[in-house]
Amino acid sequence: MLTKKQNLLETMNGGNPDRFVNQYEFLDIILEAPLRTRPQPGDIITNEWGITYSWPEGQLGPFPIHDDEHRVLKDITKWRDVVKCPSVEFSDERWAPAIEHANSVDRDDKYVTVFFASGTFEMTHNLMGMEDAMMALYEEPEYMHELIEFLTDYELRYAEQIIERIKPNALFHHDDWGGQIASFMSPDMFAEFFLEPYKKAYKFWKDNGIELIVHHSDSYAANLVPHMIDMGIDIWQGVMTTNNTPELIKKYGPDLTFMGELDSGVLDHPTWDKETIAEHVKKACETCGKHYFIPCLTQGLHFSSFPGVYDAATEAINEMSKKMF
Amino acid sequence: MSKIEEVKAHVEKGKSKIVPQLVQEALDAGEAPQEILQAMVDGMGVVGDKFSAGEIFVPEMLIAAKAMSKGVEVLKPHLAGDSGISLGTCVIGTVAGDLHDIGKNLVAMMLESTGFKIVDLGVDVSTEKFLNAIKENDNVTLVTLSGLLSTTMPAMKQSVADIKASGLTGFHVIVGGAPVTPEFAKEIGADGYSPDAGSAAVLAKKLVTA
Ligand code: B12
Repeated sequence: MLTKKQNLLETMNGGNPDRFVNQYEFLDIILEAPLRTRPQPGDIITNEWGITYSWPEGQLGPFPIHDDEHRVLKDITKWRDVVKCPSVEFSDERWAPAIEHANSVDRDDKYVTVFFASGTFEMTHNLMGMEDAMMALYEEPEYMHELIEFLTDYELRYAEQIIERIKPNALFHHDDWGGQIASFMSPDMFAEFFLEPYKKAYKFWKDNGIELIVHHSDSYAANLVPHMIDMGIDIWQGVMTTNNTPELIKKYGPDLTFMGELDSGVLDHPTWDKETIAEHVKKACETCGKHYFIPCLTQGLHFSSFPGVYDAATEAINEMSKKMF
Repeated sequence: MSKIEEVKAHVEKGKSKIVPQLVQEALDAGEAPQEILQAMVDGMGVVGDKFSAGEIFVPEMLIAAKAMSKGVEVLKPHLAGDSGISLGTCVIGTVAGDLHDIGKNLVAMMLESTGFKIVDLGVDVSTEKFLNAIKENDNVTLVTLSGLLSTTMPAMKQSVADIKASGLTGFHVIVGGAPVTPEFAKEIGADGYSPDAGSAAVLAKKLVTA
């Protein structure tokens, strides 16, 4: 039996995997690494960027508050005065749990993985609110280029720190670039603002020991695939069924591996059931096939919102491996 | 190109700095305010169709809506009554427990540009708030519920049921948002569903003028 890592590489290279890569199994994500304050259920917090998040009890997750009182950046032309970049230096004590976790990983089997969120585009709308952020791309493009460069620079400085501390082998990077049926912006606009900054960031990670770049966008983004490949993404995690993934695999398979097809919105809810999950897994595996594809819930981490869903998907994927390999 | 055509073309392109000036020039040239407004509405109709077809994206729609609203500011004092074209009042909100509003806002912009007066209740809107807004506003012809979380679909169902059972009449209820399907909309008793903001405006107009 191949190791998790070998099996992944066979899948990505169109070789001879001996089973499906099962969701996030090949990534050991070091969530202990310090990055920024995150709210817990019931909290309202203001993080190091000054962004206020609320996570009301009983909700699935946190939400940035963008009323006039809380929005960090109300006028993009003033971003230099307003946006203050947090420090990327953390004490040895803060790093200790991350280092301990990283040291415990069998690197022949799994990738020691950095988790980086929010991505550059998400940061623009967390700071400004989605509508202002998107309109500014038209109305104040120069300032937006500057802000994006500034955010990218922050990522690089953080990368330096974490690379030194835990010597990671993979990066799991969030940035949602679309909704369910469309990308947020046109491929041309995306290229104009985000392609070069991402190329720069992903090159830096790769020049410094990262072997694998996994980018999360649980959305439609089929129209952005050529740019994903160009910027150095190896695996697109979060690909939803609305993308026509089998077609994408045919067209781009050798250049990009697609991880997803199990739409969390449809499968991960309070009244979930195993049969539906198994059906979706079967369809995903049969239509996408053994190469350049990793069946996975579209959610951006290795668990589900409702207990049991992630494990049910894992189990169903194991069943499909038995049938198809 | 006539001034009116120019207004329409610049709304479509989202030129919010130029549209007010063009509207003023059209007025100065003696064009009827009604027709200038209609040109902008038509421009937004084109924007909606292109958005539905995937030819343009969220930023283009946002700047077009902004351009139109800047144009309307100039036009307003010249229009008899308040808005000129009226399809009645639309009460809109994202359902209880749900805080997503990008889609809802796009739908509101398209509905406004089609001729609805918009009462936007924001996000996390309880049934009670919907009902109060229907009671408190004149001529409510449309109630629009948006939901993005599969976990808030039950809240949408409940709100639609309660609004329908309230005894209040004179309006249609439409629903939408990524997890909503035509089947679900039907099952919960909504009067209409559409997949995006462009087609939502077409649907709403059709329902209200039928
Ligand atoms: C952007 C986004 C956010 C932003 C929202 C910013 C904002 N101001 O709205 C932020 C980051 C804040 C956020 C927060 C959260 N999100 Co969120 N988010 C998204 C994302 C990426 C895109 C949604 C979007 O804006 N689409 C673009 C717009 C234009 O499309 P739309 O909303 O579908 O609207 C169009 C149509 O549906 C239609 N329409 C909409 N409403 C109506 C109404 C009517 C009547 C009609 C006719 C039509 C219509 O017209 C619109 C325009 O064409 C989706 C992922 C996805 N793939 O969709 C997740 C997603 C919706 N979020 C999700 C989750 C879980 C959350 C959080 C709970 C946790 C988190 N932090 O991620 C919190 C929400 C807290 C809460 N209680 O609501 C999940 C929901 C999963 C599920 N079980 O349903 C999704 C699917 C991501 C995922 N797969 O995990 N999110």
